[in-house]
Amino acid sequence: MQGARRSWRRFMRAGLLSLPVVFVVAFLFLPLCLTIVISFWERVGMKFRPALSLASYATIIEGARLQVLERSLIIAVEATALSLLLAYPIAYFLARKAGAHATRIVLVLFTIPFLINYIVRNVAWTSLLGRNGTINNFLKALGLIDAPLDWLLYSDFAVFVGLISSYMPFMIFPLVLSIGAIDKQYLEASALLGAKPWTTFLRIVIPLSLPGIFAALIFGFVGCFGESAVPIIMGGVGYELVGNTITSSMDVLNYPLAAALSSIVVIIMLVLMLSWYFIFDMRAFLGKILEWRG
Amino acid sequence: MAERVPLYRSWPMWLIIGATLAFLYMPLVPALLLSVRGEGAEEITWRWFYELWHISLVVKALRTTAMIALLVGLIAPLLGLLAALSIRELRLPRLILLIMLLPLFIPGVSMGLACAFLFRLLDMPPSLLTITIVQVLWALPFATLIILTVMATVDPIYLEAAYLSGASRWRAFRDIELPLIAPGVFGAASFSVIISVNETVRTSVVQGPWNTIPTYIWSTYKQVGLSPALYALMTLVILSTVALAGFYLLLNRPKQQPRKIAEITQASEA
Repeated sequence: MQGARRSWRRFMRAGLLSLPVVFVVAFLFLPLCLTIVISFWERVGMKFRPALSLASYATIIEGARLQVLERSLIIAVEATALSLLLAYPIAYFLARKAGAHATRIVLVLFTIPFLINYIVRNVAWTSLLGRNGTINNFLKALGLIDAPLDWLLYSDFAVFVGLISSYMPFMIFPLVLSIGAIDKQYLEASALLGAKPWTTFLRIVIPLSLPGIFAALIFGFVGCFGESAVPIIMGGVGYELVGNTITSSMDVLNYPLAAALSSIVVIIMLVLMLSWYFIFDMRAFLGKILEWRG
Repeated sequence: MAERVPLYRSWPMWLIIGATLAFLYMPLVPALLLSVRGEGAEEITWRWFYELWHISLVVKALRTTAMIALLVGLIAPLLGLLAALSIRELRLPRLILLIMLLPLFIPGVSMGLACAFLFRLLDMPPSLLTITIVQVLWALPFATLIILTVMATVDPIYLEAAYLSGASRWRAFRDIELPLIAPGVFGAASFSVIISVNETVRTSVVQGPWNTIPTYIWSTYKQVGLSPALYALMTLVILSTVALAGFYLLLNRPKQQPRKIAEITQASEA
């Protein structure tokens, strides 16, 4: 009797504790699998029905959408790389060189714009970058240009501005965590053995912060590659990246096509995530946050 | 933070940080300015803020946003707390953490689309519930990480002391650990509210007829374009987010470290 009650309680406890995992699996993991399944369905008029059809993928390969995918990939890689080049020195400086108090304040300042609705932020960029925007007027008033610069808005440049300002702040955090977690003794040992600061940085700091770099790259890439609002706002009419191609397929109710495009994106992300998981120890990424049970 | 660099050597880096922050904050300025710009150049008007109350869609969206933010602010920290505990208590902590972080790795559109397919299969029409589920999913990794961070600062010796005094696991959790990590849970709650109030892309896929303030801004921008009233609404979004972030920071202030004895003796000698 006592034993039965005990095992019942233990069962309840395990059930309660696994609730969050069940939630994510039920409402995200399984739906992602469902997306992949639906990508093989057929489109019949305005509806779609179960089938084993490659029609959606054929549409992607034949049409201009393959180029859209390719361009999205290139832009996402470039924007992520640029963001890393900006984020890494800042993260390194904050984690190693700046005082704890200053670091905290700066990190808070980076968090706030990240939290503010990024559509609001991107829309506001348009009034800064437009032909009659603040920046063009400012440059004209200075006499630096005669005619407004056209390439500031509705261009690749604008899309890069939108992507980098949307996702770069998010990349700083894993970098600060992983650089901050590097044991100081390694750096001291390197210096004692006669390595120049630059050598220590290249051969000790960067390799040891790789888990954070990889996490930052994935977060930046997830944001940039799947982005659906920035190309509309900053790229202008006809600027297509895979994110807004998915939403426009949904708008015309071509769900299997949206599912196929989305599946391609999701599979790329899952491969990246799993490679991160298997290559790196999450302890190194999360720093001292986690202490695993022995 | 050991190798602190004096300011006269570190200023170029501070300059880069300052410029990067300026780049991030710059787009907030036009919305704030244009929402109060009157007819004349120098005139300030609050007209557009009053006008917002006469747009029934905005009022309705505001109510929806508040309702969902409340639900997400309650559910996400509770699930986050359970997730943080499960990472400590259950087997395969690494895998559990990976699953909890999954929403961070999935682009917004794909996440919205996947949920929309599921809701369709389950015959769930778009409702407050479907929007709440999607937003809880998105807030959950952040809530979990915040609570994990706070949990890591609690010295396990307190829990051991409780066990040694004969407390059950539940009792030790309720009476010792929970009060100690409560700021983290409230922090996770306010963070979840911030995320809920600002989420757009995921919500817009599953919203159906229910607009939240961000999805209203997004669809109005796409259909009609910008207007002073829309700028006023954006200003409200910006200000409420900053206020909520301030509230979060207040909850998660770093505790004052007790001064080390050496410092105190040094100070008294000097």
